[in-house]
Amino acid sequence: MEKAKRIVKLMINGEAHEVATNVNRTLLEVLREDLALTGTKESCGQGACGSCTVLLDGLPVRSCLLLAVEAQGRYITTIEGLSKGEQLHPVQDAFIEHHAIQCGFCSPGMILTASAFLEKNPKPTEEEIRRALSGNICRCTGYAKIIGAVKALADSGR
Amino acid sequence: MDKFSLIGKNMRRVDTTSKATGEAIFSADLILPRMLVGKVLRSPHPHARIISIDTSRAEKLPGVKAVVTAKDTCGDKWGVFRYTQDQQFLPTEKVRYVGEEVAAVAAVDEDTALEALKLINVQYEKLPAVFSVEESLAPNAPRIHDTYPNNINIHVKIDVGDVEKGFQESFYVREDTFSAPEDSYFQGEPYAVAAQFDHSGNLEIWMPNAGPHLKAKPLSNALKIPLNKVRVRKIKIGGAFGGRSEVSPADMICALLARKSQRPVKIVYTREENSVCTRQAHAMKATIKTGVDKEGRVIARDITCHMDGGAYSSTGPIAVSVPFLCMEQAYRMENVRYNGYRIFTNKPIRGMFRTHGRAFACGVDLQLDMIGEYLDINPLEMRLRNARQKGDYTPTKSYVASCGMTETIEKTGELSKWNEKWGKLPPYHGIGIGCNSVQTGFPMGIRGGSQAFIKFNEEGGITVISGVVDNGQGNDHMLIQIAAEELGLSTNDVQLINADTEVTPSDPGSYSMCETFIGGNAVRLAAQDARKKLFKYAAAALKVDCSVLDAKDKKIFVKDNPDQSISMSKVVRMALSRGEAVSGEGSYWPKVDPKREWVENPSGQLSETFSFGTVIVEVMVDPETGQVKVLEAWASQDVGYALMPVVIEGQFEGGLAMGGQGGMLTEFHIWNDGRVLNPTQLEYKVPLAVDMPKINNIIVETIDPNGPYGAKEAGMSIAMSAAQAYSGAICNAIGVYMNDFPLTPDKILKAIEEKEGIDSKGQKRKMDMR
Repeated sequence: MEKAKRIVKLMINGEAHEVATNVNRTLLEVLREDLALTGTKESCGQGACGSCTVLLDGLPVRSCLLLAVEAQGRYITTIEGLSKGEQLHPVQDAFIEHHAIQCGFCSPGMILTASAFLEKNPKPTEEEIRRALSGNICRCTGYAKIIGAVKALADSGR
Repeated sequence: MDKFSLIGKNMRRVDTTSKATGEAIFSADLILPRMLVGKVLRSPHPHARIISIDTSRAEKLPGVKAVVTAKDTCGDKWGVFRYTQDQQFLPTEKVRYVGEEVAAVAAVDEDTALEALKLINVQYEKLPAVFSVEESLAPNAPRIHDTYPNNINIHVKIDVGDVEKGFQESFYVREDTFSAPEDSYFQGEPYAVAAQFDHSGNLEIWMPNAGPHLKAKPLSNALKIPLNKVRVRKIKIGGAFGGRSEVSPADMICALLARKSQRPVKIVYTREENSVCTRQAHAMKATIKTGVDKEGRVIARDITCHMDGGAYSSTGPIAVSVPFLCMEQAYRMENVRYNGYRIFTNKPIRGMFRTHGRAFACGVDLQLDMIGEYLDINPLEMRLRNARQKGDYTPTKSYVASCGMTETIEKTGELSKWNEKWGKLPPYHGIGIGCNSVQTGFPMGIRGGSQAFIKFNEEGGITVISGVVDNGQGNDHMLIQIAAEELGLSTNDVQLINADTEVTPSDPGSYSMCETFIGGNAVRLAAQDARKKLFKYAAAALKVDCSVLDAKDKKIFVKDNPDQSISMSKVVRMALSRGEAVSGEGSYWPKVDPKREWVENPSGQLSETFSFGTVIVEVMVDPETGQVKVLEAWASQDVGYALMPVVIEGQFEGGLAMGGQGGMLTEFHIWNDGRVLNPTQLEYKVPLAVDMPKINNIIVETIDPNGPYGAKEAGMSIAMSAAQAYSGAICNAIGVYMNDFPLTPDKILKAIEEKEGIDSKGQKRKMDMR
């Protein structure tokens, strides 16, 4: 069953990639299967859980609901691109420090959502943090330490 | 000076940096050279005879490298226990639920594999099916397994004391029935398995698991290859909550596909497959009859419980027992009878779940509230009067070596200001309390103990080798923390190799809440063994007796004169230069009664120790919408000793979210003729960040005499007691006792309307059982 593949140009974590892919494939599939960027996770595949969150021009999107071709010409950040070399992003550091991570499966999506949110709203209230992170499901933590990590980071002014 | 350098302190977990950066590899992330995509063909029928399976067209599809059916298996039936061997990983005769594995394909990509599945022709003869305990037990119901008459899978019978006499002597007796449908795990990570065979017949396999050794042995049996050739590898695991304790048909199927194609194969479950084809929690109906004296102390209790077990046994004997055992541990009850039945239906298979039997646990606690109301004793006082105490024996004869049940009740009561609130809150505003107790391991035959090894390098750093697995709760760090503490190292000086059946020794697995107690003790003993050897060399070098030495900051020193010291590295080098390697070996075998058996002999020491927990929650119910807003929660557990308090808080908070917020408000499966209608997070509502209340964590320490540093199970008592507290608080808020869980808005509204109907007729406003 041959399908016409198309060359899709993607700008991911500051690097240009050209991927030959069927047009029906999602950005999530291309990231994980073609580019081995497996930090982006699939949990529900329906846009309900936020595990596959990546940043598109700095805004969180669900890569399971986005076709790879739709992401052309946009600037994509995955969890692998958040840290700069050995330097962790402050949100990553806060999640580790405040025990916001247990099994870690939702963490990449959660961290990307939190980092985009803090860019937009650097001094949020706890309620605003809760709302901002409510598109990302965590089954382990009950969210308390996640909210705590984001709040502590915001309060520290880093 | 602090007694410990690392134990009892908060610090960064060793595993979380890789999880924050995307570096951590979970099973679905594995990419191996020439790897194929595996897909499973599943039964569309709840109950049908398999007449024939024709795979010839699928095999001819370009890109298909292997197709497997039952013909590729030895046909043996597998079971957790010798007496529950009833499941074939690929069935030969019948399918028993919608979603059961029938055949599988490995192909070069997902599209090809899915297309190949459509080309497999399975002829079925549909059979009548049953979807509830009642239907399954009805006369003339279709028999699901030939070996189980009347579809009764398991019957656990416990009868202690004289229950009838106890009821006769009781001041007040009441009987109520409680029920709840199936709930589910919804681990973040959907099930995934990758496998490869080499030409020498060695299997290498990765999957989320709660015990790699529990996977390896059944795979070795089913594949008819020696156990040493089954190498279950360590991989990051995205949650378990009881749902990943057993071997999965997917493990076997993936291995078969890898063997047949002689290429690596990966099967990644969809969310729907994870919900339907791994495990679910049991639907349950529990009838509880309790007799008390004038002071509210329980004299006798008789409980009959029916659990919908789905199509196969799974961990049935354990799952039927644990709801009862938790409550017999939590509360004193001298005369008690339990009849627990697990019934087969044509529904997906049910396993053990973190909140064992919400209908059971909430039933016992809500009934205490009802009895308290009749006797005019407040719920908190009812718990205090019935609380388990240290030094007691449970009805089924487990000695309770440490117990902080009373302290957890008192502390949560005090911090929540229970006495100022109970009976004094405004309308539709309520407060509730739940208490529970959980085992720290149970008898598991030859798998009951854990061993650990430690080896040194010449810089004084170590590698710890242990069978303990980490499902996300922090077991990896716990082992490192213990080894580092005992040897005076930092966590950075320790490498861990664990949960790999080729390399690491046997271990019970992380599903009976035993890893800290058993695996942690084994690592501690291994570290102490290594320390003894190091001290022997150090004592000779320092010309002192071993008994005066201590280790800290990678040095061994004289306790009274810390300047008199020698570096760890030097000691190891001294040993190596004499041709002796420094290593340590530890083994811990819990003191449980090996003769205790779930069905045949449910008596004797069940677990070496038990945890005890209390949760109080305060809620507000909107009488217009039936929505519940949880205002605040107080969670307290006797954890023995908190090895890392912040990690334990995380267990409390996660437990409260799953057991209380999700388990009592929103979580349940919806069905149509054995088909799950809400298999994904779109329709099955797990709690979100906005839903969660403020949680106050109260860690109670009783220093268990045998736990490592006094530690025992941490967190599961909270998950269960949270469910109980939520149900109590909501019933208190609306002034009606409800008996079908979870307490969703439709049920709450109906309860309020019915109550108001009674009130409008001018009858006395009285809490009534519904």
